Amino acid sequence: MKYGFAIDQRTCIGCHACTVACKTEHEIPVGQFRTWVKYVDSGTFPDSTRDFAVMRCNHCTDAPCIKVCPTNALFKRDDGIVDFDGESCIGCKSCMQGCPYDAIYIDAESNTAAKCNFCAHRVDEGLEPACVTVCPTHSIWVGDLEDEDSGISRLIAANETMVRAPDQNTGPNVFYLGAERATLDPLEAPVRDTYLWANPDEHRLAASQDFIGEDPTAATTLNTAHPRPWGWRVATYLWAKGMAGGALFVAALAAIVGVPLGALGDVVAPVLAAAGAAATGLLLVWDLKRPERFYYLFTQPNWGSWLVLGGYVLLVFGLAATAWLAGALLGPDSLLVWLAWLVLLPCALVAGYTAFLFGQAEGRDLWQSRWLFPHLLAQALMAGAGAMGIFAWLLGVGPDGVALVTRAFVVGGVLHLAITVVDLFGGHSTRGAAVAAHMIVGGRYARLFWAGAVAPVVVAVLVALTSWNGGAAAAVAVAGMLSQVALVIYETVYVRAGQDVPLS
Amino acid sequence: MTTTEPSHGTQARGPVPDLPGARSHEHLANFPPPETWDHHVAYDAKAHPRKVAREFMLIPTTCFNCESACGLLAHVAKDDLTITKLEGNPAHPGSRGRNCAKGPATVNQLTDPERILYPLRRAGERGGGQWERCSWDDALDDIAARIRSAILEDRRNEVLYHVGRPGEDGFAERFLQAWGIDGHNSHTNICSAGARLGYTLWGGYDRPSPDYANAKVILLLSSHLETGHYFNPHAQRIMEAKNDGSAKLVVIDPRMSNTAAHADLWLAPWPGSEAAILLAVAGHLLRTGQVDRAYLRRWVNWETYLERLHPDADRDFDTFMERLTDDYADFSFEFAAAEARVPAEKIAELADIVAGSGDALSAHIWRSAAAGNLGGWQVARSLFFLNVLTGSVGTPGGTSPNGWDKFIPHAFDPPEAHEGWNELLWPREYPLSTNELSMLLPHFLNEGRGKLEVYFSRVYNPIWTNPDGFTWIEALTDPGRVGLHVALTPTWSETAAFADYVLPMGHSAERHDTHSYETHAGRWLGFRQPVRRVAMDKLGRSYDDTRDSNPGEVWEENEFWFELSWRIDPDGSLGIRRHFESPYRPGEKVTVDEYYRWMFENRVPGLPEKAAEQDMTPMEYMRKYGVVEVARDLYRQDERPLTEAEVEGAEPDEKGVLRRPTTDESTPPLVGEAGSVGVRLEDGSTVAGWLTPSRKLELYSQSMADFGWPEHATPGYIRSHVAHSRIDAEKGEMVLVPTFRLPTLIHTRSGNAKYLNEISNTHPVWVNADDASQRGLRTGDLVRVTTRIGYYVARIWATQGIRPGVIAMSHHMGRWRLHESDGSHWVSGSVDLDRSDDGVWRMRYTSGVQAFDSDDPDSARIDWDDPGVHQNLTFPVQPDPWSGMHCWLQQVRLTKAEDGDRYGDIEVDVGKSREVYQEWLAKTRPGPNAEGWRRPEFLMRPVKPKRKAFKVGS
Repeated sequence: MKYGFAIDQRTCIGCHACTVACKTEHEIPVGQFRTWVKYVDSGTFPDSTRDFAVMRCNHCTDAPCIKVCPTNALFKRDDGIVDFDGESCIGCKSCMQGCPYDAIYIDAESNTAAKCNFCAHRVDEGLEPACVTVCPTHSIWVGDLEDEDSGISRLIAANETMVRAPDQNTGPNVFYLGAERATLDPLEAPVRDTYLWANPDEHRLAASQDFIGEDPTAATTLNTAHPRPWGWRVATYLWAKGMAGGALFVAALAAIVGVPLGALGDVVAPVLAAAGAAATGLLLVWDLKRPERFYYLFTQPNWGSWLVLGGYVLLVFGLAATAWLAGALLGPDSLLVWLAWLVLLPCALVAGYTAFLFGQAEGRDLWQSRWLFPHLLAQALMAGAGAMGIFAWLLGVGPDGVALVTRAFVVGGVLHLAITVVDLFGGHSTRGAAVAAHMIVGGRYARLFWAGAVAPVVVAVLVALTSWNGGAAAAVAVAGMLSQVALVIYETVYVRAGQDVPLS
Repeated sequence: MTTTEPSHGTQARGPVPDLPGARSHEHLANFPPPETWDHHVAYDAKAHPRKVAREFMLIPTTCFNCESACGLLAHVAKDDLTITKLEGNPAHPGSRGRNCAKGPATVNQLTDPERILYPLRRAGERGGGQWERCSWDDALDDIAARIRSAILEDRRNEVLYHVGRPGEDGFAERFLQAWGIDGHNSHTNICSAGARLGYTLWGGYDRPSPDYANAKVILLLSSHLETGHYFNPHAQRIMEAKNDGSAKLVVIDPRMSNTAAHADLWLAPWPGSEAAILLAVAGHLLRTGQVDRAYLRRWVNWETYLERLHPDADRDFDTFMERLTDDYADFSFEFAAAEARVPAEKIAELADIVAGSGDALSAHIWRSAAAGNLGGWQVARSLFFLNVLTGSVGTPGGTSPNGWDKFIPHAFDPPEAHEGWNELLWPREYPLSTNELSMLLPHFLNEGRGKLEVYFSRVYNPIWTNPDGFTWIEALTDPGRVGLHVALTPTWSETAAFADYVLPMGHSAERHDTHSYETHAGRWLGFRQPVRRVAMDKLGRSYDDTRDSNPGEVWEENEFWFELSWRIDPDGSLGIRRHFESPYRPGEKVTVDEYYRWMFENRVPGLPEKAAEQDMTPMEYMRKYGVVEVARDLYRQDERPLTEAEVEGAEPDEKGVLRRPTTDESTPPLVGEAGSVGVRLEDGSTVAGWLTPSRKLELYSQSMADFGWPEHATPGYIRSHVAHSRIDAEKGEMVLVPTFRLPTLIHTRSGNAKYLNEISNTHPVWVNADDASQRGLRTGDLVRVTTRIGYYVARIWATQGIRPGVIAMSHHMGRWRLHESDGSHWVSGSVDLDRSDDGVWRMRYTSGVQAFDSDDPDSARIDWDDPGVHQNLTFPVQPDPWSGMHCWLQQVRLTKAEDGDRYGDIEVDVGKSREVYQEWLAKTRPGPNAEGWRRPEFLMRPVKPKRKAFKVGS
C-alpha cells in the first residue's frame, strides 16, 4: 500500500480551490500553505501562455525529512503517507532543510513543523483528502500506487508523467501529467518583478536575480513565500563550534609535539572549547521554535538524525574540554599527552559533524558538497588557532608556542581558502549547487563574500606569515581577530546562499 | 462510482439515491454517505495523529459568493453548533460536490471578527461613521411606516429595492408585487444587460446555456474557465469535453487569462471588434455553405427577413439563403482582421474550427465585450448567430437558452401584477433596455425625475461597484433625494457606510433561498438554508426565528420581509398581509418553513415522489439534500409538443403563433407576450418554440425596427466607442479593461475572506511590455490613468499577457473606509475624502491594509498592504443607447505619475461626469413606439406589470 497523488495539469485551471479547501480543513494560519498553485507565464505576445502546477509534499518513498527529523515527529505510515506529529516536534526546522520541495513550514500557531499529510485523518475515515474532493476539474487523483489496477496507477501508466526534483532521489509520489517543466523546476522560471495578483516575497525576488532558465521569457507569476529557515544563529553556531574544536585541537597538538603553551593550552584552550560548545548548544536551543522541548532530542531520539548525533557530539566534546582542563590543572603532564590523543576525535567531530547534518539537508544542494567536512576542519583550525593566537599575544606566550599557533593558523587559513576555491568554483553536481555558488562568488553575496569573507583571510594569512617563527605574536593576534569576523561572514553567506536557491 | 449502500440513517428511511457528485478513488470516497450525515463522526485534523473524534451534522446549503450557486455541505458540530468548514454538496447536479476557492472560504466570512452583528442606526450625519445599536423592532416600525405612507399616498415609485447578487429566484418579486410597487432595481446594467439584449433579440431568453460536456467546439468570449457564470460547474464540463471528448477550445479575450492559456486557439483582438470577427465567421459559413439549412428553414424568421429587407425578392428559402449570404459578404476575414488588429489567418482558423463543430458548438458570452462596448449586445447576437447557422441550438453539445435549464417555482397565493411603471428604473430613453437603468439613478435623482422615500441596498455596493461613485455619494447623502437608506448586508461596504440603517443579514449558511441556474443541460432547484437552525431542529432545540441560530442578531431576509410586510399592512386592509399568511394556519403569519413547505409540496415536479421514495416529506428531502434535480438531458425544447391544456383556447395568427385572447388587464410572463403559448409550424406540428413575438428565432427583429432602430434589426457590427479607429495612439490613448475577475475574489463580497485575500492582494495595471518600454515605464512604476472625468494613480505590471494598446485592471480591489467603525480591515485602506466647491472630489489613502488585532489571531498576520485602486470612481456612466448597459471599457491616457501623486489617488470632477452622462443620453431614441408602447412586451422585465402599464398614458 502506497498512497500517492497524480496531478493533471492538463485540466488544472489554477483556481486555488485546493489551496483554500486545505486551509479550511486544517485551519492553517494566514501566510502558510500545505498546498498551493504556482503560475508560470512565458512566451511573447501573442504567443504568450500561462502554466500551473500544484505544489505540495511529495510523500517521498525515501523521505529526507523523516531521516533528518531528530525527534521522530515526522514518520512514514504503512500506507505510504509521510505524516507528522506536532506533539513531538521541537521546531528545529531541519526537516525544512531536508525537504527539496519547500513543502514544510513552521505553523505560526503551534510553532511546530507542518505540511501536507494527505489529510491522514480523513483517509483514516475512508475519505479523500480535502483538495481532491473540492477540485472543480478533478485534476487531483489519489490512490494506491502499488495496486496496478488502481485508477491512479492506470493513469500514470497510460500517460507521460513528471516529478519534481528527480535528481534528489527521494522517490517522490506526486506525479504530474502534462506539466510544463518550468513550473516544476524553480530554476527554470525566476520571479521577474512581481506576481500577477500578489507581491513576491523579497527573499524570492532577490534570489531570482541570480539565475535564468532555458526559456528566458519564463517567469514565476504566482507562488508562496519560503523564508530561510536558518539564520544568524546557525551561522554563528558554525563559527562557535569550529573555533571551539580548533582551539582544543591546537592545545592537543602542542601537547603531542611537546611545545609548552602554559596557561594558553591548559586553561584558555579548554575554556574556549567549553564556552564555544556551550554557546553552540545555547544557539541551537535558541533557534528551536519550541525551545522548551529541546530535551526531546534525548528522550525521543531519531538515531539516524545528525541533529541527535550532533547533540551527543557536543556533549562528548564538552566532556573532553572539561577533562582537558581538569587534567591540565590536576594531572601530570604525561596524562595530557594521552588526553591530547583522545580529544583529537571529539575536536574533529565537533567541527565537522555539521557536514553530515548539512548532508542530510537534501534541499540544500550547496551543502551536499563532499568538501564540506574537510572544509569545516580547516575552518576550525583557522578559527581555533586564530583565537589561540589572540590569547597567546595577551598572555605573552613564548616564541615556540606562538610559532605553533601561527603555523596552525596559516595552514588552516590556506586550506580554508583553497577548499573555498575548489568547492565554489569547482564542478557542481547539481544546478542548485551551482546557482548557490554563483550567488556567493558572482551574485548577490559576491561583495560581502570577497570583501568580508575572503580578503580578510588572505590578509590575515599574510600578516600571520610574518610570525611564522613565532616572532610576532601581535601579528597572529590581529590575524586571529580578522579571521573570526571573516569566518562569521563566510558562514553567514554560506548558510544564506544554501537556502536561497528556490525549491518550488 | 457512487455510494449506494442502503440507508439506516435517522432521516432517509428509504433507499438513498445515487448522488451526482459522489465518487470514490478505490478505498476513498469524496463524501461520507448521506445516511450518516446526521451523525458524522470526524477526527480532529489539528489533533492528528491523536484520534480525537467529534460528531457533526452535515447540512447542505448554497454558496452565496458568485452567481453559480454551487452546493455546499456545512459541517455543524453537535456539541456547540460551530460551523467548522464547508465542503461541496455531492447531491447537487450542477456543482456535483466540487467548488472553487470561494466555496470553502465561506467559513472565513462566517467567522470574520468584524461582522456586523446587530442592527445599527445612523447617529450622526450620513457617512459620518457614527452608529448606534437599535432593535429590529425599531427599524422595522420606522421602515414600515414610511413604506405604508408611500403606498397610501400613492408615492409607490419612491420605494426601491436595489439588489446586487440576488442569489434567489422569486422572493423579491413576490413582496414587491404584494406591495404593488414597481420598485425592483437590479445591478444588471452594470453587469450583463448587453449580452442579455443580444440573446433576447434572438429567442426571448436572455442568456445562454451551453452544453459544454458534449461540445465539439467551445467558443468563449472571456475567462469562463476561471470566473463568471457559472465558473465551477462550467469548468468541470469544459475540461471533461476537452480532455475526454477532444473538444476544441477557442478563447477570445484581449487579456491572457487562465482560460486563454488553456485554449487551442486564443485570439486577442482589439476590444470592441468581436462582432466583426464573429460575423466574418458567419459570412464564411454562409459563403461555404457550412450551415444547417434545415434548422434555419424551420426555426429562423426568414420570411420576415425577406419581407423587410428584400421586399422585392422571391419568398422562398433558397432566395433567403442567397440574400443572407450577400448581406454578410462584406464581413470578410480581412475586414475583421483590420478591425480586430489580428491576422486574417487567425480568424480563418477560427472559422474552420467553428465550421467543424457540426451542431455541437457551445458558445458563451456574458459580460466582457458585451458589457464593455457601445453596441456590445451585437457581440452576443453575432455569437448566437453562429449557433443558429450551425444548428447548434439546444442540441447535445450546442447552446440552449437558459430558460430550458432553469426552474422557478412560486409560492402559494401569488400576488397579482401591479399596474405601475417607475420611470426612474424604466425611463423612456431606453425602451429596449434589458434591465433597469439602475446606474443612472443618481443622475435621475439629480435631474429631479423623482425622489426616494425608502431605498434598500441589498447585497449591493453601488458607490463602489457602479461607475461615477461620487455622484452616488452626492445623491445618497442628500435627504431630499433619498429619505431613508436601508442597507441589508452581512458585512460593511462603502455603500453601507452611507446608510441610515445597516441591517445584518446572514451569509450563505445563515439564510433561506431557492434558486436555479442553467449550469448544464438539466434543471435543478437549490435550497439555501441556515444550517445551524436546521441542526437545532434536528437536535430538538427551540428557537423563535433564524436570528436565534445566527451570530448576534443577524437575520435572514425572508423572515425580515414577512415581518416588514405585516407591519406595512397590520390589519390586512391593503391586501398585502394575506400574501404573508400561512397557507396552513389561516390568518396567521407564515413561517419560513411553511413558505417553502408549500412550494416543495405543490410546485416542484417530481419532488414529492422522490421524497416519498425515501419515506420523507418534500421539506425533509430538501432539508437533507439541499437540492432536487427536476429534469436532466434537456434538449430541443423548442420542438416540445404543446399539451392539450396549453393549446386550449389558443388560435394561430397569420404567422402560426398560437395566442389566447388577452386584454390590457393581462399580465405578460417574465419573458414573452401575454397569451402567446407556442407556434404551429409549416408541417403542422404544434410546439413551444421561442418566446419572441414570432415564437421563432428572430434574425430580423421587428421590435428593434419598431422602436426606432431599423438599421440594427439584424445581427451587425456597431463600431465601439473604443474601436481602434477612435483611439489616438499618438496622443497616448489606450483602452482600459477595468472588469476582469480573478478566480479567487468576487466583487466586494469576498473582502472579508482571509484565505482569499492572502492569495490575491495586489492590483496592478496590466500593460503590454512593449507599450511600457515605449513610455519608459517598468513594473512597479506609478502611473496616472486619465479618464474623461478624472484620473487615478496606480502601479503597472509590464507583461506579455495583454495585447498592445490595451491595459487592464482586475475588478475586485480598491477598497476604502472613511472611518475605523465601518469598513473591513482585511481589505480596505483608510482614506481622506474631499470635495471642492466646484464639484471636484479627491480621495487619498492615509494608510494601506495593515495587520490588526482581533479575536482572530490571523488578523495580526496580514502581510499584504495593497488595498488597490478604486478605478470605478473615475468612470463616467456610459449607457449603451439600446441595452442600457454601462459600457465599461474606457478610453484613457496612461502617463507617468506626476510630482506629488501617491498610490491610489483619485480625482474626479462630477460636473464632467454629468456632461458625459448627457452625451450618452443624447445617443438614445426615446420611446414610446408608434403604438404608444413603452417597450416590447416580450422583453424580460423583473416584476412585470399588467399589459396596460406598458402603454403610455393608460
